Amino acid sequence: MKTVTIDRDKCVGCRNCEMACAYARTQETCESSVSNIRVNHYIEQRTLMPMTCLHCEEAWCMSVCPAGAITRNADTQAVVIDANRCAGCKMCMLACPFGNIHFDNERQVSHKCDLCDGDPKCVGHCIAGALKYQEMNDLAAAKRSKYDQMVIATAH
Amino acid sequence: MKTDVLIIGNSAAGLSAAETIRKHDKTKSVTIVSSEGGNAYSRVLLPYILRGKLKEENVFIRDNNYYQSNDFDYIEGKVTSINNKEKNITIDNNYSVNYESLLIATGSSPIKPPIPGIDQDGVYHMWTKSDMEALIPHFQSGKRVAVIGSGFVSLQAAWAAVSKGLQVTVIELANRIMPSVIDNKGAEILSEKIRSFDVDLRTETMTNAIEKQPDGSFLIQLKGQEPVAADFVIVGTGVRPNTGFLAGSDITVDRGICVDEFMQTNVEGIYAAGDVAAGPTSFGDPHQIHALWPTAIEMGKFAALNMLGKKIPYEGSLNMNVTQMYDLTVASMGNFADESGDEVHLIPESQGMGYMKVCSREHRIVGACLVGKTSAMIIFGMLRPVIRQHKQVTVDYMNLERDLQKLTYGLMH
Ligand SMILES: Cc1cc2nc3c(=O)[nH]c(=O)nc-3n(C[C@H](O)[C@H](O)[C@H](O)COP(=O)(O)OP(=O)(O)OC[C@H]3O[C@@H](n4cnc5c(N)ncnc54)[C@H](O)[C@@H]3O)c2cc1C
Ligand code: SF4
Ligand code: SF4
Repeated sequence: MKTVTIDRDKCVGCRNCEMACAYARTQETCESSVSNIRVNHYIEQRTLMPMTCLHCEEAWCMSVCPAGAITRNADTQAVVIDANRCAGCKMCMLACPFGNIHFDNERQVSHKCDLCDGDPKCVGHCIAGALKYQEMNDLAAAKRSKYDQMVIATAH
Repeated sequence: MKTDVLIIGNSAAGLSAAETIRKHDKTKSVTIVSSEGGNAYSRVLLPYILRGKLKEENVFIRDNNYYQSNDFDYIEGKVTSINNKEKNITIDNNYSVNYESLLIATGSSPIKPPIPGIDQDGVYHMWTKSDMEALIPHFQSGKRVAVIGSGFVSLQAAWAAVSKGLQVTVIELANRIMPSVIDNKGAEILSEKIRSFDVDLRTETMTNAIEKQPDGSFLIQLKGQEPVAADFVIVGTGVRPNTGFLAGSDITVDRGICVDEFMQTNVEGIYAAGDVAAGPTSFGDPHQIHALWPTAIEMGKFAALNMLGKKIPYEGSLNMNVTQMYDLTVASMGNFADESGDEVHLIPESQGMGYMKVCSREHRIVGACLVGKTSAMIIFGMLRPVIRQHKQVTVDYMNLERDLQKLTYGLMH
């Protein structure tokens, strides 16, 4: 599947991706706190790390959702939350080991990256070429499956 | 009738198992039996529906053609006995189904405490969809409800009632609320918050009797206190595994059905998962019942993999709990009890997460609990694999989120 890949050596920390996501989600604000992608700064390591959903193969958030609100989109393969079915129980936040699910305190529902229906806005606004929307290469796939196994031992 | 895989139970553990089987094997026949009729639904959602957060039809968590599209056979009926020698089960004392391998995922039922008057109209549990349907007409502003018990489910019932404008009394025998979900300090903070919503929360209070009045309302008689008046009663004082139908089989039951790391019972080919099963935990206990949704999902998955002969051991369950109630996020994971003797790290309130405690043992993080804000959930999510791996870590608890991120992204070991 195609997903948003992150090259952390290229990221310059401008946070354009956060703003683009925030606006795409809300159509009214560029406030980072409502974005589904977050750029983390680690000063001692001199590292920047944008983080957004990996759309895990064994998506533990999806298995655990007690409301059947999280499904895989048949076209994009994105793991998506249906806000109308979301109870706001936060089990998915407990399930994601990367902190990739966020909460809308006003509506009391969770939200996460949905790959913007196949046209991720964060990628379009990345000025450094750090974010790409592309077929996962073997490395990314291997990494993803390693993460998956960390989430819950799996049968592959 | 004969089936390759027979699953008793149509909820978290049963569905997780059935779907795992189908993911890996398209040909085996899979039959699901459930005594509750209709499509699969989620118990967890009952309080959210009662308080109006979700629509009633959202209780169903699989669509109408789910069984057909996955090629599952579905039988509505109550399993009344198992004959493991003949490899069959009896349904409704009436007919039998033969199986190649069997998964018992029958869950648990509310305990009825021995209170005179508990068995009458107007006294409910909040455990099944039919309980919810019976309760909906009562959830009207101004009505009075007495909730007996103050565990996770009872307090959610009470919160749903508060949200709907009911007058709520909670009666608890012990000296604090929610012992299995939060520590003493967390219980104190939550109790105060609950009372700020005008809930009459009474701990160390013994219910002597539930008496119906001529007008149909109730008087709850309490030991050494004035009685409490209520229009209806919800009882939530814990659950017990549904194992009754196993009498006469060779399956070992010790409160729950004892299973090994392959989710197999002492009888070859018979597995158990979910609230009914006592299985291994992440901390090495051989047989524990968590009675939690995520545990049921995991156990169901591993039972299925092993029913397919894959021999994959389950790493053991890790208790985890989260809910939103009384405008607070209440969560816990692993070992967080005050009595455990573990090292305690309090996250300063200045970090804006509310009351949060992390426990460690010899530089291994073993658990955490929270009565506070949503922002802490990201930390809980990252803690889960760290606790499970039992890895020694050097983290700065004053900068826990950052350090956990670094661990997660492999920037630190
Ligand atoms: C109101 C409420 C809120 C909850 N909130 C949370 C929460 O926030 N977080 C959390 O982790 N957990 C929560 N739980 C607990 C959670 O719902 C259970 O842990 C979970 O449902 C267990 O799943 P299970 O598949 O093991 O069993 P169950 O969900 O109990 O399902 C058992 C199935 O077996 C069937 N069955 C039983 N006996 C027979 C028989 N003899 N013959 C045929 N079929 C039979 C039943 O019809 C049902 O389909 C909550 C529970 C309730 C009631
Ligand atoms: S577990 Fe986290 S990273 Fe994986 S699909 Fe779910 S939200 Fe995305
Ligand atoms: S918060 Fe919503 S999406 Fe997340 S697990 Fe609960 S119901 Fe599912």
